Amino acid sequence: MSEPLEATPHAFVRADREDGSVSFVVDESVYPLEAIYGATFTFLDRCFVFLGREGEGQVRVVLSAKKLPIADDELRGWVGELANELLACAWRGRILEQNRATIEAVTSQAIGGAMGPPSLDELEDFDFSEEPFEDPLGIAMSWEEKYGKKDKSQGGETEGT
Amino acid sequence: MSERLFGAMTPETFDARQPAFFRFRQLPMAPDKVVLSNLEGRWLVLDRPDFLAFAQGQVSEGTPLFQKLRERNFLRAYYDVPAATEMVRARHEFVGAGPNLHILVLTLRCNTTCVYCHASRANMDQVDTDMTVEIAEKSVDFILQSTNPAVTIEFQGGEPLVRFDLLQHVVRYANERNEAIGKEIDFTLVTNLSLMDEEKLDWLIENRVQICTSVDGPQDVHDKQRKLPKASAHGEAVKWIGRINERYEELGLDQTLYHVEALVTTTRPILDRWKELVDLYVDLGCRALFLRPLDPFGFADKTKRLIEYPRADYVTYYRNAVDYMIELNKGGVEILERYAAIFLTKILSGVDPNFLDIRQPSGAGIGQLAYSYDGKIFTCDEGRMLHEMGDDTFEIGHVMTSKYRDVVGHEAVRAVVIASQLDGQPDCVHCPYQPYCGIPPVHSHRIQGTLLGRMRESSLCAVHKGIQDYLFEKLASGDEETLRVLEKWTTIRPRDHFVQ
Ligand code: SF4
Ligand code: SF4
Repeated sequence: MSEPLEATPHAFVRADREDGSVSFVVDESVYPLEAIYGATFTFLDRCFVFLGREGEGQVRVVLSAKKLPIADDELRGWVGELANELLACAWRGRILEQNRATIEAVTSQAIGGAMGPPSLDELEDFDFSEEPFEDPLGIAMSWEEKYGKKDKSQGGETEGT
Repeated sequence: MSERLFGAMTPETFDARQPAFFRFRQLPMAPDKVVLSNLEGRWLVLDRPDFLAFAQGQVSEGTPLFQKLRERNFLRAYYDVPAATEMVRARHEFVGAGPNLHILVLTLRCNTTCVYCHASRANMDQVDTDMTVEIAEKSVDFILQSTNPAVTIEFQGGEPLVRFDLLQHVVRYANERNEAIGKEIDFTLVTNLSLMDEEKLDWLIENRVQICTSVDGPQDVHDKQRKLPKASAHGEAVKWIGRINERYEELGLDQTLYHVEALVTTTRPILDRWKELVDLYVDLGCRALFLRPLDPFGFADKTKRLIEYPRADYVTYYRNAVDYMIELNKGGVEILERYAAIFLTKILSGVDPNFLDIRQPSGAGIGQLAYSYDGKIFTCDEGRMLHEMGDDTFEIGHVMTSKYRDVVGHEAVRAVVIASQLDGQPDCVHCPYQPYCGIPPVHSHRIQGTLLGRMRESSLCAVHKGIQDYLFEKLASGDEETLRVLEKWTTIRPRDHFVQ
């Protein structure tokens, strides 16, 4: 039976002691869905995680014990940590977006520097013979190939026909 | 467009008193002082009224404070972009260098049993946890592919002296293979010293293998948590530290570079005994003391009920111990605290000493790699420790099958590099210590289940914040003698690998 959990906000949090689960309603206008996924994902090693639609713009997160019995303290710990991680994910997402250029530049320099250029052996292993990828939109074509005038001698269509 | 914008921002057309980008923090133990730092890591500690005037853009031109703010690049109208760029570059010089530190776990076997063993040691009869000669050679071949022109091979365990024969083979093989490659190559041995003898010592010295050990405090503390059957672990460590330092001296080696580097793993019983601890290190002839807190890896996780402590207690211990060390230095005794030296080098000299766990991006995968006895490769030693605890998140290859570029370009390495940049971290983006700080994602992963971590709740952030609060208090104290001691600590550089 679902009931309030002591020392947590009753409006959002319900506990089911028999099932060993705690549930938490998250407002999507406050926390983006990416933050909900990111925050709940960090609980996979501790409990089973269920996400479901509660109502318009609301997601219910249920954290369920992998083993019973489970103490109220632990349930409270989960829900508190989930709330903190949700905020961290939501805000971090914004910060990462703002500082994306710096982070990408440092990352590519760090990884590129550690990897170094490919060796001759590695280049040898590379298969240049096959088409690298399908290109239905002509992204890999040169501008001339894609939009340039077609050579009439090759019997292509001409303008105005 | 940007030129016009910058052109417009001259003192004539723009209020010269407006602050440029800055981060700030009121010092908790000296609340009348506020630390501020800017993007490139220049800093000031201001009295509260001065800080408020600065933040509100009300410091009058021509005053000494205005001058100071201008010199340190805290004013928008005078903001020196090229100087800031150069400083940011200098602080990140290590970024593209590639892995320098290579940790080789020769065996998990160990003759000692420590309550907190981070390495998850194995019993002496578990020979299946020994590295084979083939895996050792393949590891060396792998290491020599690093893009870094200098590499350090650090022997770890278990107790690496259990396989001294293999250690010797690795040193010989690496030197031989390196003849054609020409890297600068160093060797370090991390040992409890209890299996040391004169013959081994002669060989290690002759082959310039640096020696690093642990002393956790006075005999009763050390022996209680590091149990050596039929002998005192403390007695053995102390005896050999003295003997090795004596040998270095006899050989006329530079004592600032060649001495046994000893570390403390801080456990609960030592928190009140900081004075005895410092005195012990001084008596042992050590010039450096690294007051490391407990890590949440290996057996420490199981025994935390007995040895763990709140990080606020650690910070008090740290402050007491370093206060005492500063006083000793004023009296002519040379002993430095390693954490302080790392942070102060960044704060005072604007360069990064490349301590792999306190830098951003952190060293995992791009600055260090760990090779387990069975040939598995990890981003870092802690990643290897987690593997022993059943978590393979940081396993990135195998010396027998993986290609170098696939290992350092592994998705786990990329994730760790991104996660360890504090520019993407709530709290850190507003913290004045951000230019000097660093948190290894493996730590956050272990304690918070996320590589990115929540710094506000991170025990490592609490340690780094507490130490930097303390250092800035000292820097703001105006005590000339203290400043001289702290500045000196930044000039005594260990060879990098001593302190990993
Ligand atoms: S910490 Fe080192 S000396 Fe102690 S048990 Fe573990 S491997 Fe052995
Ligand atoms: S980890 Fe902590 S001390 Fe370091 S920059 Fe971030 S908030 Fe500041």
